[in-house]
Amino acid sequence: MTTASLSGGPEPRAAAVSLPVRATGRSWWQTATARRLSFGYLLLAPAALYVLLLVGAPFLFSLWLAVSDANVGDPVARFVGLENFRAAWEMDTFWIAMRNSVVFLVVAAIFKSLLGTSLAFLLLQNFRGKKLIRGLVVIPFTLPVAISVLSWKWMYDSQFSVINWVLSRLGLIGGYGSESWPVWLGQPGLALMACIAVNVWRTFPFSAIVLLAGFTAVPLEVLDAAKVDGCSFFQRFRNIVVPMIFPILMIGFLFDTVFTLSDLSVVYLLTQGGPGNATKILPVLAYQIGIQAGNLGRGAAIALFLVPLLFPMLFLVLRNIKRKEW
Amino acid sequence: MSDTPHPVSAQPVKSRRQFLRTAGGGLAGASLLTMLDAKKAPAQIKGTTLRILQWSHFIPAYDSWFDSKFTKEWGDKMGVKVRVDHIPHLELPARMAAEYAAGAGHDIIMNGSSILTRLYYKSLVDISDIYDGIGKKGGGWIPSAGPLVQVEGRTYGIPMFYILLPMLWRKDLFDANNLKAPDTWELARVAARTLKAKGHPTGIQFSQCADANLNWRSLLFSFGGAEADASGNNILIDSKETREALRFAKALFDEGMTPEVFSWDDASDNRFLASGVGCWIHDAISAYRTTEDTNPDVFKNTHIALEPAGPGGKRVSTSAANVYMIWKFSKNQPAAKEFLTHFMSEFKEGMIQSRGYNMPYLLGDAKKPMPIIGADAKMAILQDFPPLVAFYGYPGPFTTPIQEVVNLFVLPDMFTRVARGQAIEDVMKWGVGEYRRIFSKHKSA
Repeated sequence: MTTASLSGGPEPRAAAVSLPVRATGRSWWQTATARRLSFGYLLLAPAALYVLLLVGAPFLFSLWLAVSDANVGDPVARFVGLENFRAAWEMDTFWIAMRNSVVFLVVAAIFKSLLGTSLAFLLLQNFRGKKLIRGLVVIPFTLPVAISVLSWKWMYDSQFSVINWVLSRLGLIGGYGSESWPVWLGQPGLALMACIAVNVWRTFPFSAIVLLAGFTAVPLEVLDAAKVDGCSFFQRFRNIVVPMIFPILMIGFLFDTVFTLSDLSVVYLLTQGGPGNATKILPVLAYQIGIQAGNLGRGAAIALFLVPLLFPMLFLVLRNIKRKEW
Repeated sequence: MSDTPHPVSAQPVKSRRQFLRTAGGGLAGASLLTMLDAKKAPAQIKGTTLRILQWSHFIPAYDSWFDSKFTKEWGDKMGVKVRVDHIPHLELPARMAAEYAAGAGHDIIMNGSSILTRLYYKSLVDISDIYDGIGKKGGGWIPSAGPLVQVEGRTYGIPMFYILLPMLWRKDLFDANNLKAPDTWELARVAARTLKAKGHPTGIQFSQCADANLNWRSLLFSFGGAEADASGNNILIDSKETREALRFAKALFDEGMTPEVFSWDDASDNRFLASGVGCWIHDAISAYRTTEDTNPDVFKNTHIALEPAGPGGKRVSTSAANVYMIWKFSKNQPAAKEFLTHFMSEFKEGMIQSRGYNMPYLLGDAKKPMPIIGADAKMAILQDFPPLVAFYGYPGPFTTPIQEVVNLFVLPDMFTRVARGQAIEDVMKWGVGEYRRIFSKHKSA
């Protein structure tokens, strides 16, 4: 009890809180706190609904499909437990697709990091037409995938490949029909690399833009101070830029991983997974079995094998971001 | 009252409701058939909309004719608004799955190459009545037509046309080298061996595309090989004929092709022929038409041969089937049935508009001379193909396991593996294993 209360005077804080409520008879819902909270939840609601309806529900549905014998033409599906996973596990092609998916992911990530970082640094420099160039570099990312991939298909054509004709004119390879004439989509190793190259070409501008956003957030004073202290370019990059933009880097990396692992269109349009499954990746296999062959259950099970690949990565990235924030 | 039991009729006694249902159904069916026959629009289809989904035809002029003339004229006559949507043929299975899941979409949907009757038949309208009627009127269906659309004795689709993949060969190159026309696979191989050395190799897709699925099956079946028995339940791929076909394909690749065939898609061989490099290809006549449009000199010397015979003289031409189906959820089934009947009665016009690309399932339409191809000396040989035509799964029907085998390119992969140097027995072990795994999975399901 305060001195004031002891002396019979009003308790100032209690009066401030309780008196108006009593005077107007308002419930908690009408208080400013409640209004603030309601407004906050209202703003969050679209995002939460979006996640629940467009991500959560399909994910749960695909989990159900994966443990059922659902097929595209039958309205009734039976629960079959882990049968679809076992069937996928026993498929020779599944393991080829799994291996190709991992190679695809790792090689593409390396090249996208290198090219994305280089491009971001280039775009940081001041030069005439910088805004125009910034607009142009995102074109591969914004072009409809069908159009850009079909252009690449022509460039990789076994007979009319512009790449081969240029190399041939430069004397680096022989003429059409010779042993040294590369068949980009016909030789197993080359075909996978050709698909990865198109994926890298399409999405490295995204990496560059993400990095660029991070770089521009680094205060110039910090970099200038480091320069004055005699730090080299790479020391500044490693010890100042990377730690400061780490959360952005991680989010970019995460997006990129998801885009790469789930990229069906590049491989499907270029090779359909051939020659002889040399470019088959999990999304293509899932599509061929689930939709084209009509076996939704097994298609879903194969697609869900992407989750164990993605989940540890997601966990590590989010944990690292949290640590850096602390 | 006597003790003798009352006589019981052998016929089951029909209730009044059953009688009315049977009589009403019969009356409605008879009315529809009469109206179809008289080419009058049934009253209930007037003022309705009919939605058709089909592929983008390889002969674009066909689509122009179909969309703006054929369907329009029929629609005007019947008082039906017809809307036709086109998508690439490879997207048809995905669209079909989407429409099925949504329970809404088009009234008529086309299947191209991948015939999904057995997957969807529970959701398709039983059109046995019009199938039989069309067949009767058109002189009967070719034998391979029925298994494409029939499940458990009922018919769920109308075979619209199939696409042949004959041998297209360069007569000038053959003549200059004293080579015989490629009437057998062996002669084709000798020609490829001879002409590759002179800068004119041959090519068949060793890749994952529709033509690879079709071409290698033609070779396999002509060699006496088979995929499944007539029931569609038993695999026949593990045979000495399959081994022979694989051995032959390896020799054909080594002697007469270049590695570019590993990267080919469905259009690569068209370009290969049109460029003047290829000595022969085994492809649809779109390749012939492409050559006509882009390289008249090569076209002049490009001839068409009958399906080459295998070592035993057998000829089987695996063709790409195309089928129309009607969804059960369609709210305009009478118009859809009416349209399909009309479409088949005007088949010859469609064949003309497709420049001879659409081949007939009806024996009446297959009589010589056929439009376009019957009037062209080089194409006339195509008229001899109907008895040789087969589809995936031969001699069995196009079942769901075969559908998966086709979509996973198991057979072309077997040929690809052999061409790349794997031992035939290893390839057989892998391929037969894949067939068995797929078939057993479907059997257990």
